[in-house]
Amino acid sequence: MTLNIRLRRLIASSLAFVLACVPFAHAGTTLDRVKRTGVLNDALMESYPPFGFIDTDNQLAGFDVDVAKAFAARLGVTLKLATPGWETIMSGQWQGRWDICICSMSPTEERAKVLSLPVRYYSSPAVLTVHKNELLIKTVADISGKRVGVGMGSSYESYVNKTLVIPGAAPIAYPFRNVLAVPGDETVNFRNLALGPGVRLDAIISDFATAKAAVEASHALKIVGPVIYAEPNVVATEKGDAEWDRTVARIFNEMKADGALAKISQRWFGQDITHDGP
Amino acid sequence: MALDARIPAREDAASRLLDKGMQPQSTAPGQTAEHFRQKVWLTWALLCALLGAGFYELHLDFGYVGQKLPFLLGIRLSPDGFIQGAVLTVFVTGCSMICAWMIAVLTALGRLSRNPVAFAIATFYASLFRGTPLMVQVLIIYLALPQVGVVLGGLTSGLIALSLNYGAYLAETIRSGLMAVPAGQREAAMALGLPRWVASWKIIAPQALRLIIPPACSLFVSMLKDSSLVSLMGLWELNFLAQSYARSSYHYMEMLLAAALIYWGLSIVFELVQVRLERRFGRGVVARGRHAAGPRNG
Repeated sequence: MTLNIRLRRLIASSLAFVLACVPFAHAGTTLDRVKRTGVLNDALMESYPPFGFIDTDNQLAGFDVDVAKAFAARLGVTLKLATPGWETIMSGQWQGRWDICICSMSPTEERAKVLSLPVRYYSSPAVLTVHKNELLIKTVADISGKRVGVGMGSSYESYVNKTLVIPGAAPIAYPFRNVLAVPGDETVNFRNLALGPGVRLDAIISDFATAKAAVEASHALKIVGPVIYAEPNVVATEKGDAEWDRTVARIFNEMKADGALAKISQRWFGQDITHDGP
Repeated sequence: MALDARIPAREDAASRLLDKGMQPQSTAPGQTAEHFRQKVWLTWALLCALLGAGFYELHLDFGYVGQKLPFLLGIRLSPDGFIQGAVLTVFVTGCSMICAWMIAVLTALGRLSRNPVAFAIATFYASLFRGTPLMVQVLIIYLALPQVGVVLGGLTSGLIALSLNYGAYLAETIRSGLMAVPAGQREAAMALGLPRWVASWKIIAPQALRLIIPPACSLFVSMLKDSSLVSLMGLWELNFLAQSYARSSYHYMEMLLAAALIYWGLSIVFELVQVRLERRFGRGVVARGRHAAGPRNG
């Protein structure tokens, strides 16, 4: 990014601030910017294997990365990846830093308030993981009074706290009480759970794909019980550019229809997680 | 003076660390400096061996560490062609250090100023930035400034946050150093007819620096490690890479220990620089200190 562009942006956004009384001062900016620069700035997580991680060649890799590459190719622009902290993505005030977040985000009411969530791109169920020597916890109904690890700020944290509302989906059942949520880094949580049943954690609620990868890596964990709830994952954009959102939704629906997304899913998971019904 | 003449002959790292600050003012009767140094080396070697044995017990995958080391050290560039790893850490620390130093000098002068506005600004700034967590400052500068129209990149935000935070601490260090120089020094300079700025630059500053350097260097060693907070904005510095590799590959201990050792190595370099600076600004003063300390301890 040259100083010139930054300066221009600074002036532009200063003007926007001065004219802040006008709503949607940024309307239409994302699509215009992507078209003008020919670059798609995509934010994603680098420590969320197998969706986003750094591979042995020090490159970002994973399902989300491949989806982003396919999306950028269809749009005919160059893909530029960024790995900001989750909290900076979730703050919603991107101010043009990123154009899109193909980052395994679950839609929630809170997130929909600060971000635009134009399209679903895969659906992966939430599951319960315990230590392989765990005898008492067989389903999510057994976690009452237990310490349950969840990703900090994740939809699983909302679930354990009984506040999860997935827009457009049926209300979720909470067959437990007094669960002690232990929010933290998900991979650190899996390590803690592998120390033994109840040593630091009794169970973890997470996405099925991340749980499966952790179980395969540690050999000390197992996934138990039926699927807790089906969880859609969406693409996020900054609020205020309806045309960009329509473009994103159209291209993703095309990629679903012609099987491009399914192919990426097969490559990473050996199954198609991109067909999510509605 | 005999003690001072010996100093330049010392070249090994441990004895440099030992010099000045770390070596006792006087050695026990019958124990020469040479004996002292040998025993210190031996103890260091033993402690290192203990630490190494501890690592060995963890059954680490050293092959994996070797594979990731070029990236952690920053010998290779990141995928988007920017510096990464330890090189980025040193870059962020170095730039912030220079900015923090400039901010701190201004703030310290403001604190010592008779102008009420300058004094108020300096105390307000120092209080605000010492009284809030660095991580909160990093996030506010990165996330809140855009809302008033200033969109900064991750690197710029990180540099600003680190500089402002450490500038506030450093200002107090500098102020205490300046205040510790006896008023008679300036009076004597004035009596000799030296202009104000010459007195400040040639008389006050060198004496204050001698007192400022040890705590300032401690601050910079601490800044080296706090620079990892810029990873929040997606910069691939040392801690970020270590954590990401660890999470991506489930090789947790290997990556954390490798990062820790690299940080430690960098800190040792800082400490060596500190010893040199202390020696430079302590010329004359330390020799007197040692002679004076001799009878008291011996």
